[in-house]
Amino acid sequence: MSSVNFKSTRATQAATPITHSGGPVVTGTSVLGIKYKDGVMLAADCLASYGSLARFRDVDRLQPVGEHTVVGASGDIGDFQYVQDLLEKSMIHEFYTADGHALATPHIYSYLSRLMYQRRSQMNPLWNSYLVGGLNDSGEPFLGYIDLIGTTYQSSTIATGFGAYLAQPILRKAVEGRENEITEEEAIKIIDDCMRVLFYRDARSLNKFRRAKVTKEGVTVTEPYSLTTEWGFAENIIGYGA
Amino acid sequence: MTSIGTGYDLSVSTYSPDGRLFQVEYAGKAVDNSGTAIGLRVKDGVVLAVEKLTQSKMLVPGSNLRIQAADRHIGIATSGLLADTKHIVNRVRDEARSYRDIYGIPIPAKVMAERLGLYVQAYTSYSSVRPFGCSTLIGMVDEDGPQLYMVEPSGNFWGYHACAVGKGKQVARTELEKLKLADMTARQAIKEATRVIYTAHDEAKDKEFELELTWISDETNGRFERVPKELVAEAEAYAAESLSAEMDDDE
Amino acid sequence: MHVRPSTHPTSQAKEAAFSPYEDHGGTNLAIAGPDYCLLASDTRQSNGYNINTRFAPKTFKLSNKSVLATAGCQPDCAMVTTRVKQSMLTYKHNHNKEMSTSAIAQMLSIMLYQRRFFPYYDFNILGGLDEDGKGCVYSYDAVGSYERVPCSAFGSASALIQPFLDNQVRNKNQLGKPKVTEFEPVTPLPLAEALRICKDSFTSATERDIYTGDYLQIFIITREGVEEQIHELKKD
Repeated sequence: MSSVNFKSTRATQAATPITHSGGPVVTGTSVLGIKYKDGVMLAADCLASYGSLARFRDVDRLQPVGEHTVVGASGDIGDFQYVQDLLEKSMIHEFYTADGHALATPHIYSYLSRLMYQRRSQMNPLWNSYLVGGLNDSGEPFLGYIDLIGTTYQSSTIATGFGAYLAQPILRKAVEGRENEITEEEAIKIIDDCMRVLFYRDARSLNKFRRAKVTKEGVTVTEPYSLTTEWGFAENIIGYGA
Repeated sequence: MTSIGTGYDLSVSTYSPDGRLFQVEYAGKAVDNSGTAIGLRVKDGVVLAVEKLTQSKMLVPGSNLRIQAADRHIGIATSGLLADTKHIVNRVRDEARSYRDIYGIPIPAKVMAERLGLYVQAYTSYSSVRPFGCSTLIGMVDEDGPQLYMVEPSGNFWGYHACAVGKGKQVARTELEKLKLADMTARQAIKEATRVIYTAHDEAKDKEFELELTWISDETNGRFERVPKELVAEAEAYAAESLSAEMDDDE
Repeated sequence: MHVRPSTHPTSQAKEAAFSPYEDHGGTNLAIAGPDYCLLASDTRQSNGYNINTRFAPKTFKLSNKSVLATAGCQPDCAMVTTRVKQSMLTYKHNHNKEMSTSAIAQMLSIMLYQRRFFPYYDFNILGGLDEDGKGCVYSYDAVGSYERVPCSAFGSASALIQPFLDNQVRNKNQLGKPKVTEFEPVTPLPLAEALRICKDSFTSATERDIYTGDYLQIFIITREGVEEQIHELKKD
């Protein structure tokens, strides 16, 4: 958009209406998150799609924020990068304020939800769904969701995008009611199994993932890794024009 | 030639006949009355230390900080009028943020020194303002490694291996000049900085002071941090030891 | 002639225009008694056929005398709740007393009407005790119309529950029983009876409405304060 100010001339003012984001452009697909014994685990793949084109294949959609929080993003990558900048700015402000307080997971979650709701109320949304994982004020696992209209909810399993259909049922079956029993090894298995299902069926996914965990010890994000897949069954699939 | 008064010291927008700006020089006096601040640039980091003279025993320790962060990689040590230094720190923070907004990377030390120098200089050019009564040490680690700059009330700034301002600057500079800074680690520099502050402290005139010690080094991953309590205690023990050794030599 | 630059590739595929609203389902119910008020909500939050979470409370204690139940678009509900709480705090700081339920009721109406042309998609029930210690229920539409009623149901299962309340609480269509008219501020029901009707309403609504279920949160407001209970509902 032109940055020229037309306020003084009435005719041109009408010619340049305010335009808002029409929809996501370069996008990331599902993000998964679960609570387990020691904390929270999140996962997302490394793909940024441009429509159906697999445009960027090494994109990090899991952002550690501070000591005990990680933010996972699906939807528009540009909007996510803008939000990353805002979060970084807040964390630096918090750093030099040096008042003994730190922005913890619930505060970051609240900040993000207010940001998303404000933008939707200006009819100019940030086109994302976010998962915020970390620890609450009493050190228990925290997992929350925020979307482009400002919807918030917390749960022991959450999946955005296609994951809400494909992964969420598997996650609920594996996790609900067992949050305090699941070990890190089991959590990894649950998450990886779901990421594999998503790679099989979500056409906007990639077999290259990152996993993040938040525990009392802090945040760790894995290097990109791949999962073993088995496509032998594909020969037997008949129908839908194949 | 007499330099005091004679009507040429009322405004920064008027030169004296021999080409000086008295208001700027007076601002320098405000700095000279303040507790000593020193900076050491060594091979793996920067150490900033301040002799914070405490006006009252009722002040809470750790309040009225004279060394503050302006970004993750920037430490600002100040000497002079405290209120002015707070304004300067705010300005440095704004510059650091603005640079990040535009270029997406942390601001380099030279750029920061230039920007702050330019800002401070502007306050020496208009009759409607007064110059800042403070000197500012900028300690940073950027792409080119550890950096140390000092910005004076005139707006002048230079890069330093080590520098000192405030009451004890003469003593401190003499001590700093003896150090082999290029071979020193930040961990060692903490001890030396502490010793220099204690040496420069004038016990006859000023009783109480609080030592402020900060560092940015490889050990802090290039981040500004206050020196941990254990290290401070170690450094103070070292300072006390070398001071008493000196006393023995004198006798 | 001026030629418009070609539009962006992705914008050619027709995107549905952005809608700032979503319906997150859920049901609220309130009954005003002679010396109590009862509010109940399920805790399921849905989005289409998805269950977002099984536990997302949307009813909140405002003071020892009032509770606010919200249903509709979750972010709007959260915003309204926050703003009511903030204003109540400001009122307390200014006047050194808690806001009365009737004052909150009027304030909420104004808050909603201020957004007449970009409404909060939020259907509220405010319940509590009035200045005489009687139970009171105020029910609202999204833009601030409100009235005091003896009982009310709002949200995704309101069409299932409201007729049942009309029959059981206000004795509508029951021969030989005294009617509780539109103008009656409270029902004569004892608390235990109201609780029974409330729980039955939700177990039945859970059977037929996919947006209602998981847990039932009940608030009972009496002179002693606000008591909160949690009961299970079916999770299918």
